[in-house]
Amino acid sequence: MFEHPDDSVDRAARQLQQPVDIDPALDGRVMREITALPAPGRGTWLGEVWRWLRRPHQVTLTPLGALATAAALGVVVLLSWMSSKSPAPRQAASRTFQFVLVAPRATRVSLVGDFNDWDPTRTPMDRTGSEALWTAVVPLAPGRYHYAFFVDGSRWLADPSAPVARDEDYGAPSSVVTVGGGS
Amino acid sequence: MTPALSRGALPLLAAILVAGPMAAQQTDPRLERLEAAIRPAVAALVDSARAAMLPTEPLVQRALEGATKHASGDVIVAAVRRLAVDLAHARDALGSTASPAELTAGAAALRAGASPTILAQLRQTRRQPLTMPLAVLADLVASGVPVDSAAAAVLALAARARDADLVEFRRAVERDIALGAPPAAATAAAATLSSVQVNAGARQQRPGRP
Repeated sequence: MFEHPDDSVDRAARQLQQPVDIDPALDGRVMREITALPAPGRGTWLGEVWRWLRRPHQVTLTPLGALATAAALGVVVLLSWMSSKSPAPRQAASRTFQFVLVAPRATRVSLVGDFNDWDPTRTPMDRTGSEALWTAVVPLAPGRYHYAFFVDGSRWLADPSAPVARDEDYGAPSSVVTVGGGS
Repeated sequence: MTPALSRGALPLLAAILVAGPMAAQQTDPRLERLEAAIRPAVAALVDSARAAMLPTEPLVQRALEGATKHASGDVIVAAVRRLAVDLAHARDALGSTASPAELTAGAAALRAGASPTILAQLRQTRRQPLTMPLAVLADLVASGVPVDSAAAAVLALAARARDADLVEFRRAVERDIALGAPPAAATAAAATLSSVQVNAGARQQRPGRP
C-alpha cells in the first residue's frame, strides 16, 4: 500500500523544517582539515615571475601605440645623450701659484698665509736647483690673500716680487696675492 | 675715513662693535690656537659677522695671522674687529650680491683709503667680478700711489680691462716707481698705455705669480 504523494511531500517538508543540532566544534575541525591540506603547486614570487617571462605572450599594439612607444624610447635616448654631452658644473676656478724665495743662508722656509691658516707646518718650501732657491706651489681660489715667508722658525720675510700688504696691526711684513674671478 | 652707511648696515656695525663680550655659540676649532682670554671675543666677532651674512673666513685668518706672529691679544681682537667693520662697509658699497672675494678686496681698498663711492662706481662700471680691480687699487695705494690717482686709473680701466690686463697695469706702475718715476705719474702713464692695449687681442695667459 502506498501513501498519497502529497502526503509524503508534506512529511518530508515537515522533517526538513525541523532544526538540526550541529556540533559547535564543527567549524574548528573543518578549518583544521583545510589548513592541513597540502598547498597547491606554487613557488616564490620570483619563480612565478621567471615562469611568466619564459612563457610566450601575445602582445597586440595599435599603430598609434607603436608610434607612442617609439617616441618615448627616442626621448630617453636623446636625454641620455644630452646628459653625457653637457659640461660638468662649474666650480670656483682655482689657479696654481708658485711662490719663490731666494734665501741662500736659510735652512728651513715655510710659506704661511690666509690659504693655510697661517700654520708654518702646513706648507714647507722645497729647496730646488741652486741651493738658494726655495719654492712652493699652492692652488688658490679667487680671492685676495696675505702671506709671508717664515725663515728658520724665527724670521718673517715679505715676498720681494709681490705687492706689500699694508698692516698697521701686526708689524711683521706680509705680501699680497690676488686671484681674479669669483663673482 | 668714515664712510656713509645705509640704515641696513648700522645695526650690523652695532652688533659687531658690541660683540666682544658676547658668548660664542659654536667656536671654530682653529681658534683654539688663540689665547684663551681672547678666544670668546674673537669667536663672538666671527658669529656676529656670520649672522650678518658677511664672510667669516677672512676674520678667522686675520686672528690666526696675529697668533702666528705672536701679536698681543688686544691687538688681535682690534684687528679682527676692524676687518669686520671694513667688510660691512664694503658690502654696503658693493651691494648684497658681492662675493666673499669681492668683499675682502673691497675691505682692503677701503682700508687703503678708497671711498665707498669709488667702490659703488666700480660696481656700476664693471660687469665682471670686482676682486681684481679692487685689489689693484689697494696694491697701488700700498705702493705709494695717491688714492685719487689710483682710483681714477682703475675706474678708467675697469669697464673693459680683463684681470690679466689689470695685473699687468699694476706691474707696470710698480716697475716705473722702482725706476724712480713719481707714483702718480707712473700710474697715469701706465693707465694710458693699458687703455690702448686693452682688448687689443687675445693674450697668452701669464704664469701664476703674485
